[in-house]
Amino acid sequence: MINLGFILESTPAIIKAIPITLLMAFSSAIIGWILGLGIALIRKANIAIVAQVCAVFVSFMRGVPMVILLYIAYYALPILIYNYGLSIGVEIDVNAVPPVIYAISALLLDQAAYSSEIFRSALSAVDEGQMEAAYSVGMTKTQALVRIIFPQAFAIAIPNLGGLFLGLVKGTSLAYYVGVYEITATANLLAMPALNFIESYIMTTIVYEVISFIINKLFRYSENRLKRFRAGMTV
Amino acid sequence: MENTYDLSTVPSYIPKILKALPVTAEILIFSLLFGLLLGALVTMGALGKNKMVRIISNGYISFMRGIPTLVLIFLLYLGLPQLMVGIGIDLSAITKTKYIIACLSLGSSANMAEMMRASYLAVDKGQREAAYSVGMKGFTAFRRIILPQAVGIAIPTLGNNIIMLFKETSLAFTVGVIDLLGKARAISSASYGTNRLEVYIATGIVFWIICILMEYISKAVEKVYTKGRKQATS
Repeated sequence: MINLGFILESTPAIIKAIPITLLMAFSSAIIGWILGLGIALIRKANIAIVAQVCAVFVSFMRGVPMVILLYIAYYALPILIYNYGLSIGVEIDVNAVPPVIYAISALLLDQAAYSSEIFRSALSAVDEGQMEAAYSVGMTKTQALVRIIFPQAFAIAIPNLGGLFLGLVKGTSLAYYVGVYEITATANLLAMPALNFIESYIMTTIVYEVISFIINKLFRYSENRLKRFRAGMTV
Repeated sequence: MENTYDLSTVPSYIPKILKALPVTAEILIFSLLFGLLLGALVTMGALGKNKMVRIISNGYISFMRGIPTLVLIFLLYLGLPQLMVGIGIDLSAITKTKYIIACLSLGSSANMAEMMRASYLAVDKGQREAAYSVGMKGFTAFRRIILPQAVGIAIPTLGNNIIMLFKETSLAFTVGVIDLLGKARAISSASYGTNRLEVYIATGIVFWIICILMEYISKAVEKVYTKGRKQATS
């Protein structure tokens, strides 16, 4: 019924696929969240036209399923890269671009959209008086933002960012469709020859559960660490 | 061939893709119903008095939140029948659509349970005490005082959860169901993939528009429902 030998044999192969999943998750989270913070600031400052473009972008990203975004990135980016190459006079071999690049591009744009909403609500949740207090002691706008507002907003945003990151790790499983050999795709590949589906997906499930558990713990920990930034404003 | 694409043909694919909307709607409605039902049961367990049931319910929620929907689909659709054949049960009679509904219900039930728990706990404790003080019994107090307020709190999250669930129905094509994305793939392969980019963009637009509509409805429902109740919550 359950082939234990197969599980033992293929465990190393699945473990070897973990780094590619984590690479996709971390790189798209880091770049995406920085973009997201930028979008949040632009929309908060209500800069004409740019803010509207950002709003449409966020709405689109939130409305379109990840699989479709991945397919669009997978089929559109090579054309864009190729055409860009021609415009600067180089013929780029788009088939040499690893598919993980397309997956990361789609994931990071998705993260930018979702995190911008989290940052926006976190920035609005910081008391207005904090900004005024910072000005009153002679800080410039940048200083006030970086030293006073961001730490507090970040502390508010952390639980939601944790949820977002967990969703991202789960979302990387969809990169399977554009040919990235991450955990799910590797499990599928291993299962095919002898149809050991149940064994390989049980292993996949365990791997994802362990990763989720660790991420949850890490975010819970940083939430507690960052509580000190919230101390002043909970009154 | 890599370079041939014509974005002006995108709108022409939208009506063709929309033909598959009933399939997606069926999956969405049934998964939503079962997800809510399952979520309610799990919430009752998680907030109940029995310690064992509480541990199981919370374990279920964190398990379902930790597993990607795609893996859940593979586990149930490809894995479960093998396991069942091993103990002599044949699952081949179950249709693909039913498998997808089962997977999405399980996956969304955890989010639904979290939503229900959070909104239940967000209702002020004094409300229950006030209900008791005017002589209501446990269940009556829940049904007439707590539930209406909790529903009001839950509406925005419910709207979000439904949108998320709708987006996840796009995974139905994985097992070969011809839903919106399945239809798009069929259209694309009928022309040997030459128009795949246009078709996927058209599908994206279909999903986008439906999501905007859903968001709009969710906001409208929230407005209507919370009208006149605001005094009670503040």
